[in-house]
Amino acid sequence: MSTDITAVAVPVPMDRRRRWLWPADVPVSVLIAGMVLVVMAACALLPGLVAPQDPALINPTESLLRPGGAHLLGTDQLGRDVLSRVVHGAGTALSGPLIIATATIVLSLALSLVAGYFGGWVDAIVGRGVDLLYSLPPLIVAMVLVGVFGGGYWLAIGVLIVLNIPQNVRIMRAAVIERRGLPYIEAAETLGVSPLRIMVGHLLPNIAPVVAACFFLRFTYGIVDLSSLSFLGLGVPPGSSDWGRMLAENRVQIFENAWASIAPGVALVLTAVSANFVGDWLYEHFERKGRTR
Amino acid sequence: MTFRHPVLQFTARRLLAAALVVLAVSALTFSFIHLAPGGPEQTIAGRFATPEQLEGIRDSYGLDDPLPAQYADYLVHAVRLDFGNSISTREPVVTAMQDRLGVTAPLILGSFVLICILGTGLGTLAAYRKGSGLDRFLVGVAVTGASAPAFATAIILVFVFGVQLGWFPTFGDGEGLADRARHLVLPVIALTLVGVASMLKITRARVAQVLQEDHVTFARARGLRPSYIVGRSVLRNAGIQVVTQSGVILLALVAGGVLVEVTFGLNGVGALFIKAIEARDIPVIQAVSLLITLFIVLVNLAVDLLYFALDPRVRAQPAGARA
Repeated sequence: MSTDITAVAVPVPMDRRRRWLWPADVPVSVLIAGMVLVVMAACALLPGLVAPQDPALINPTESLLRPGGAHLLGTDQLGRDVLSRVVHGAGTALSGPLIIATATIVLSLALSLVAGYFGGWVDAIVGRGVDLLYSLPPLIVAMVLVGVFGGGYWLAIGVLIVLNIPQNVRIMRAAVIERRGLPYIEAAETLGVSPLRIMVGHLLPNIAPVVAACFFLRFTYGIVDLSSLSFLGLGVPPGSSDWGRMLAENRVQIFENAWASIAPGVALVLTAVSANFVGDWLYEHFERKGRTR
Repeated sequence: MTFRHPVLQFTARRLLAAALVVLAVSALTFSFIHLAPGGPEQTIAGRFATPEQLEGIRDSYGLDDPLPAQYADYLVHAVRLDFGNSISTREPVVTAMQDRLGVTAPLILGSFVLICILGTGLGTLAAYRKGSGLDRFLVGVAVTGASAPAFATAIILVFVFGVQLGWFPTFGDGEGLADRARHLVLPVIALTLVGVASMLKITRARVAQVLQEDHVTFARARGLRPSYIVGRSVLRNAGIQVVTQSGVILLALVAGGVLVEVTFGLNGVGALFIKAIEARDIPVIQAVSLLITLFIVLVNLAVDLLYFALDPRVRAQPAGARA
């Protein structure tokens, strides 16, 4: 009897996990998106190696140059090299969304595991809270709160973390409930494994693909929301090479050197779209597998 | 049951909840504004005001009264649509908002209508041709549009159609009806691109699901016209999720609208809000955030009521039983 139970409990998660880690059928678009993300991450980690110049170097004699020559993307009004500023902007563009995505996923995961595993009134409370927050659009609430409080990067991050929870919980809780009734959980319960270990050791590895997909999607929305706030002057302080901020500052000179505002815009679109492609594909890949299982 | 009809009962309960939400949010923003560093008197008098001047302002605006009393005063005026005058322009807040809505309302509603038409239309088309090149193309464009920030899409549109091709103006909201319409073309496109993806995706997913159901197969077997099947069987069944999504989209358009207005230099409510935040123009911040709260609550209410119109099963159930 006991050999039977372990035979059910162990191989299923291991097998599914291995298959997921090495997916053979990755479409080209997702591969390209992944490479874009790697390049952006490289820019964020080692901007000095990629950027041709100091992003803060002001040179009034070379103000608003068009692309070409020493400045591949031209210069902005203060004569700063646009390409270098875009490369250095990757750091702020990626770090904030990374914090938001990580924090919101950890919180949502904890809530989903507890609500989905225990069910009953715990689930009811979590469900009500999620429903209540679900109807609040994160970006506009962040605008209002940050605006009312008068700026503040960490306030913006906090608001976006909390308001991104409902969407995650809806997806992850469903995934937990779907697996909660499967034989290997029942087997673990019969063996007297503690709820915490069941949640972390048995349920978590099995919903890992959903969690990864959610992470990429939240990362995308983090990029969009944070850069939108900084575009409006509600995020990072002026002067820093943040993409949203750069776009806002160089918008007026679009007839002189359009690339000073287009380049950060393109960088934003590329990064956000790539993260979304990866997340979307993970989600659909996993969902398809879930259905045919 | 005091109300005979479950729909009426449901509506009454939701209206009450909506009113409570608006009240709570207005109280929250009110106290946030008054707790935020600096305080309103600093904003009114400027950075270099003397303590005596600040004292005078606190006195004349009743700022030393207890906060609940101030809030009650604010509420009494707000109910009469009197939000005071803007601190930076001295113009009554309500007039300012009315003027700005002439830009914001067509921008948001125009984009919303376009999103509904394009999203459901193309989504249905993609579902019918699922897996084809057209399907993948539509989904790709939609995902790109959705994950790009509104202001980034906007600036690229300005560059291509305003600067390079010179077809449309790049800045401002124009004068007179025709000119304003011309100025709104690019902003509406930018906002539509932001929202159309989620509409397209949810329609595509739902329609593809419904197409597999028996009643559609049966309708086809009976030889009904394809257009009739789409209208009566498929879209009506796919409708619930699409309507829910349309509510979410409409709310997302509020934030997107703010970004698009700022990017295109439109004098809309969103741009007014951002200017007010920069200037800490408290009456304007308060009024606009109240307007946004009202809008969110009303859209959610409308979505809930639309369930009844679309799904006879919900109508048959008592109001509380809906998940």
